[in-house]
Amino acid sequence: MLIVDDHAPFRSLARRLLVAGGFQVVGEAADGADALRAARELAPDVVLLDVQLPDSDGFAVAERIAGRQGAPIIVLVSSRARLDYGSRVDASRARGFIAKAELGGEALLRVISGPAGAATCSG
Amino acid sequence: MQRLSPQGRKVIGAAGLLAGVGAGCALVWGGYEVPADLLAPTLVLEVAVGWSFVTVGLVAWTRRPDSRTGALMVVLGFAWFARFAVAVAVRPAFVIGVLLSSVYLSVLVHLLATFPGGRVQNRAERVVVTVGYLLSAPLDAVFLLLGAQRGLGEGPPPGGLVIAARSGAFTPSGVDLAVQAVVVALFLSLLAIVFTRWRTAGPAQRRSLTPGVLGGAVIVGTILVERTAILLLIPPSVGVVFAWSAQVVLVVWPVALLLGLLRSQLDRSAVGRLIVELGAGLPVPERLRSVLARTLHDPTLELAYWLPERRAFVDASGVPVAVEANGGRGLTRLERDGEPIAVLVHDPVLSAEPELVAAVAAGAGMAVQNERLHAEVRSQLREVRASRARIVEAADGARRRVERDLHDGAQQRLVTVALALRLARTQLGSASRAEIGALLDEAGAELAGALEELRELARGIYPVLLTDAGLGPALTSLAERSPVPAVVGDVPARRWPDAVERTCYFVVSEALANAAKHAGAGQVVIDVRADGGGLCVQVADDGRGGAEAAGSGLRGLADRVAALGGELSVHSPRGGGTRVIATVPCG
Repeated sequence: MLIVDDHAPFRSLARRLLVAGGFQVVGEAADGADALRAARELAPDVVLLDVQLPDSDGFAVAERIAGRQGAPIIVLVSSRARLDYGSRVDASRARGFIAKAELGGEALLRVISGPAGAATCSG
Repeated sequence: MQRLSPQGRKVIGAAGLLAGVGAGCALVWGGYEVPADLLAPTLVLEVAVGWSFVTVGLVAWTRRPDSRTGALMVVLGFAWFARFAVAVAVRPAFVIGVLLSSVYLSVLVHLLATFPGGRVQNRAERVVVTVGYLLSAPLDAVFLLLGAQRGLGEGPPPGGLVIAARSGAFTPSGVDLAVQAVVVALFLSLLAIVFTRWRTAGPAQRRSLTPGVLGGAVIVGTILVERTAILLLIPPSVGVVFAWSAQVVLVVWPVALLLGLLRSQLDRSAVGRLIVELGAGLPVPERLRSVLARTLHDPTLELAYWLPERRAFVDASGVPVAVEANGGRGLTRLERDGEPIAVLVHDPVLSAEPELVAAVAAGAGMAVQNERLHAEVRSQLREVRASRARIVEAADGARRRVERDLHDGAQQRLVTVALALRLARTQLGSASRAEIGALLDEAGAELAGALEELRELARGIYPVLLTDAGLGPALTSLAERSPVPAVVGDVPARRWPDAVERTCYFVVSEALANAAKHAGAGQVVIDVRADGGGLCVQVADDGRGGAEAAGSGLRGLADRVAALGGELSVHSPRGGGTRVIATVPCG
């Protein structure tokens, strides 16, 4: 797993929650540029990507990561609800969306195991 | 030019009459032989030309004292008669006659080169006028010294006074040819100057230039042909015809010049039509302008109205315009009771006719005043529309900021609390009490942070202390929370209308935020005092200054203050701190 979020307390809690849920976290990134680099170097299977990053839009970062060879599964997270993003989540190349307050091992597993191409959402 | 007194006019007129009679006498009884068939026409034409210039010149001088053209015409008339001294067969008269024989041509060049103002205005004109004078008396003096002479009282009068075909072969010397070449060059330059002036003139100026320029061009052209007759292989008999026709044109040319000078004055009757036309209905902006343009024969005429409150000129639709005397445009300011009401931007030639413009302005006075009030209302309407748009935009901006602040602050923290609690829940069985306790502490801290941020946000949205306790306590609380140390002076312990207190509070709040964010200030002083029926708030910092009053924050404050009929001023010299002063009336 790679966790991308600019809010350090969230990254820390998300890491502990996901580890508790059986995931292995290989890295964290605080902004879009960091995320692109970490996704290339660490080659994670899943990227947990915040939609609102200080330097760029999470959808744009998702597009760039998903365009690569052997791209990881991308799951978008946000403290806003999915409703706030309208059809953008469906139109993106992310596997799904999880509202931050709903984040947990089970929710993540449900999204990841959902069908590729149709975004599975939680929250 | 000086205004001509009635007495001066009489004296000059009498002198002109005498000069004409004298010239005639000199021709008839001067001692030379004038061919009998040429005597009468020569006499009539010569005297007619001189008198024409003197009398019409006097009229022009009287009617247009601002132009020197009238005086030049009078001088030309006298110079014309002075040539006849040469027709008296005595030595001194011959010398005087030769010296003055071509002065009239120099004056003609001067007159045409500077028409209609009669004043030299640029280098080319100065050169042409100067060369013109050098070619007359000074050159003739040289010829005299070189020995130009002839037997007195033999044959026709010298100096070509009587126009007749030259008898015998004409064998010009090198000097003669050189002088003729300079004369031709001079006249060609003169034609070029006159043509350029006519071509670049506006319609109003052309109206006054055309008659005089046309006549002048005919005369100069005729003289040119006459002078170059030999080179152009024109037979002498044809040359004589040219010379006679030049003479005829010279008789009527002064009238053409006068017509040009007075043309716009003749148009004064148009002022009457203007008043009738303007009275025919409510003036609409474009109609007032077009009626004025038509009356003054200047389609390029523009009108700008003065708004004393904004201290600026605006056009009919209330849009501010820059009014400067540039691009060769003339400006005429219209005033009422000593106060400017409008300015006419027009063809520069109209500047020479302030009386005409003043008459037109007086005729259009009520309409202009009326239109100025319309322009003022339109200008205020534009300003209100613009400020209304800015206020709506500012409100939208504020909502956007609240959403972002909620998302970045309290929402993030609450998310963290939710995650911490979920983690604690999943670890209930497996983790130690201390680990669970640490997680709960973490959640508690985040909750406290979220609460504090929500409180701050709520205060920013609306300061409840302001409603409950008034301006003084609200400003003190604002100063206490300010990142830059701020001191609040004595605030009068009374209440003002809600809107007034709110506006003053937000002025201080915004100014404090600016002092912290942009000014790099070390200290802020807030001063509030009752000012007449209203409130005056001043926020002064010791920061780097250079704040833009048109920047969005201050602009928004100014709109807010203006919405209550107040005024916001910002003094922010670079390096000299920033002082924001708001004066808000109460009701």
